[in-house]
Amino acid sequence: MKERSVTLRINGEIHVFNHVSVRKTLVQLIRDEAGLTGTKEGCGEGDCGTCTVLLNGQPVNSCLVLATEADGKEVLTVEGLSREWDLHPLQQAFVEEGAVQCGFCIPGMLLAAKALLDENPSPTEAEIRAAIAGNLCRCTGYVRIVQAIKSAAVSLSSPPLTAATGKGPGI
Amino acid sequence: MEALVGKPVTRVDALEKVSGAAVFGPDVKLVGMLYGKALRSPHAHARIVSINLDAVRKLPGVRAVVTGADMPGVLGGEAVKDMPFLAQGKVRYMGEPVAAVAAEDEATALKAIELIEVVYDELPVAADALAALEKGAPLIHEGLENYARISVIKPVPKSNVITVNEYSKGDVEQGFQESDEVFEDEFRSQTVHHAPLEPHSAVAQVDVSGRIVVWGPNDSPHRLRKDLADALHMRLDRVRVVSTYVGGGFGGKGGLKAEPIAVALALKANHRPVKVVFTREEVFQATLVRHAAVVRIKTGVKRDGTLMAREVKIVWDTGAYAEKGPTVCSQATAAAAGPYRVPHVHLIGQCVYTNKAVAGAYRGYGTPQLAWAYESQMDIIAKKLGIDPLDLRLRNILREGDVNPVGHPVHSVGVEDCLKQVAQAIGWQERQHHPRVTEKGRHVGFGIACGTKNTKTPSGSEAALYLCQDGSLTIVTASVEVGQGVRTILAQIACGVLGLPMENVSFSQPDTDSTPFDASTTSSRTTFHMGNAVKFAAEDLKKQLAQLAASLFGCDVNQVVVDGGKAWLSEQPERSLTYPELLQKQYGAGASMMGRGFYYPKSEQGKAFHESPSLFWMYAAHAVQVEVDPKTGRVEVTRLAAAADTGRAINPVNCLQQIEGGAVHAIGTTLMEELIVDKQGRMVNPNFHDYRIPTAMDAPEILASLVEAPHREGPFGAKGMAEIVTTSVFPAIGNAIEDAVGVRIRDLPIRSDKVWRALRESKEK
Repeated sequence: MKERSVTLRINGEIHVFNHVSVRKTLVQLIRDEAGLTGTKEGCGEGDCGTCTVLLNGQPVNSCLVLATEADGKEVLTVEGLSREWDLHPLQQAFVEEGAVQCGFCIPGMLLAAKALLDENPSPTEAEIRAAIAGNLCRCTGYVRIVQAIKSAAVSLSSPPLTAATGKGPGI
Repeated sequence: MEALVGKPVTRVDALEKVSGAAVFGPDVKLVGMLYGKALRSPHAHARIVSINLDAVRKLPGVRAVVTGADMPGVLGGEAVKDMPFLAQGKVRYMGEPVAAVAAEDEATALKAIELIEVVYDELPVAADALAALEKGAPLIHEGLENYARISVIKPVPKSNVITVNEYSKGDVEQGFQESDEVFEDEFRSQTVHHAPLEPHSAVAQVDVSGRIVVWGPNDSPHRLRKDLADALHMRLDRVRVVSTYVGGGFGGKGGLKAEPIAVALALKANHRPVKVVFTREEVFQATLVRHAAVVRIKTGVKRDGTLMAREVKIVWDTGAYAEKGPTVCSQATAAAAGPYRVPHVHLIGQCVYTNKAVAGAYRGYGTPQLAWAYESQMDIIAKKLGIDPLDLRLRNILREGDVNPVGHPVHSVGVEDCLKQVAQAIGWQERQHHPRVTEKGRHVGFGIACGTKNTKTPSGSEAALYLCQDGSLTIVTASVEVGQGVRTILAQIACGVLGLPMENVSFSQPDTDSTPFDASTTSSRTTFHMGNAVKFAAEDLKKQLAQLAASLFGCDVNQVVVDGGKAWLSEQPERSLTYPELLQKQYGAGASMMGRGFYYPKSEQGKAFHESPSLFWMYAAHAVQVEVDPKTGRVEVTRLAAAADTGRAINPVNCLQQIEGGAVHAIGTTLMEELIVDKQGRMVNPNFHDYRIPTAMDAPEILASLVEAPHREGPFGAKGMAEIVTTSVFPAIGNAIEDAVGVRIRDLPIRSDKVWRALRESKEK
């Protein structure tokens, strides 16, 4: 089986992976090689969005990206949203609004929401729903997830009150 | 003392989940771990002629190969022991595991299973329950009456019927004779999948003494331990199960799913751990589905709408193995007449094997399929009698102290208030003034429905609380966090009783070695059962603290007050000692204090198992507003009001989360979802692009509310509610469609083409 070397900047840190099979997907590399299991794999077919990460700032289903395709690029996973104990305003809002139930879709949902707010800091409800339409959730009915994204949009567009609600690294 | 109970405390599991730190089944990784894959049957019913393993054994990297022949006499199943870990002699559904391989990596395991050659001799297929009941239908389990089973299961020899359950009250024939009108209808519902986002998985390891350890997202570690030990003829203590967080369950993450494959491989893997993670296709084909059901319902009423008699006959399509099908049949059939006063009742359920995916527990445990029938028919009755659908329901609704359709007096009955609240929220009385056609030419309709569900009875839960020397608390239970927020609820109860802040609490991982027995995290039983156990454990701790304080104060225990994290003499509140101070004074070198609580409901003599009446009943109601496009038949739910009876909401936000999520889940079941099986028993849409579940674009405005009809035996009056949140959505939508365009759909799902065809047929008449 063919193998290559892959270099990624994941959550701001350089990772070098040697002997990466050309068949390996980005989600497999992130989970199995980098050990960042916050990114989930729900279907492996690009249907559910649980493996959403930001690749050079754009949301992708990391199960549909080959690891070698990502060589030289920047990846943001859920682990990179917060720094130590400081949650990203989206994470904070998901906790406070009760947007989390089983939690399996949440990492992908957070990154889809971040991609939206990076592009469009004050989205309408319809724009929020469209932006997360590729991220399935079976628990919440999306009610509080939509509320949380709205609330995070507000706190991101106003200056932080405390360090605990400070902005994440946002590479 | 109850300061925390009833408060919308922030969920304690949320931080771990938003940061990506929460460990789910597929995240488990152990040193030396192998990866397992199963080879699955391409046929729904076939005899296995031969399996050739020569090529697979030669592949580098393969460490274990196993087939059913390696496990003679090993049969699993909670109610009926009928399911081999890997097929033995024949396959009974497409996707049944036939052989499995463990290899050094996943790619090698995938390559390996392709090298296994299986020769099949295909058999005739019974692809639905009615076909399986016909004379001359292929027998799926020859000798089914010989399977080991629990006492309530009554198999019919030489048939595909694994059990029949019957409930009677009064005399239905007399009831029909005394009725002014008798209605007979048939309603069908389809096969659907829980579709949790986390796929099923398990990691198993066998140590040098032969003890088995399983890690995975199983909702009931003690039950899984018993399932595995019974099947493998082992002692309970020789099996250990550790449950991770569960990434969505809805009933589908209990029992034997990925676990038997991982265990079968681990038994041959030279003590190395083996991990099995299902693909999405495997999740759809080979875990669990909801029973398709055919429900024939006959109801007699007086002209004023009073229900006189109801007979319900249900055929449950339970798939290839019994799993929880027989207990779904016995439990749900008892709820088939709805939350109404009906003097004469006859209910009969048949649980039928077919060559399809295994059916079992699914949020509501069969009651949604029944509410689809009885609540659709209530509207048919209302229309014929010229009574408002809400009034017809309220005229017959169960109230506190009434006798329910299976002859039991009911307590904690909030269904009338549920109906009234959703009617108010949707604007039921004002609906006549609402424009009935939108600018786009869509027809507007309103529908209302209610429902009820029982809980498995009796069942036990035990909890331990460790009060540490610094005053912090560890809650030790086998209740699994499946997304319902159980940790938060149990912490609110424990801290509420002990007067400790929520920040002082940690949780054990569910582990059969260390967390005491709990029947299961199912049946909406945890708040009630484990809630009681935790409450008793907290009270036990308070009692021990009072005794300790009394000995330190040199007084009688009755003179001591324990609350708010402190103990004091009742006459001298200023001379208080905190919990850590009490422990420090008596046990300066270090100690912890353990509180124990065990809850097992009082059962009638001789009815200590499933025959007992339900410990509590859940109730809910839904009202919806829909728009139907007459040109395409497309239905959109534009508003949905939902109310559920919580007994008492320990955490109102947790309850609202269940109601909101359940409503959207049920909209998917009603309008979108169906696992399609062809005549050969092959599932044609086992993936998320052909099996569509609701996205954020499909969810309407949801108006959720709570009703509290306290239960005398529940902790602080609380009872379970998470399974009742879908039950009446299906008929509410069906009723609203009838209200909008005048056609009655009787089989789920209500796809556009069905509505369009029904509209065309109604015009032709």
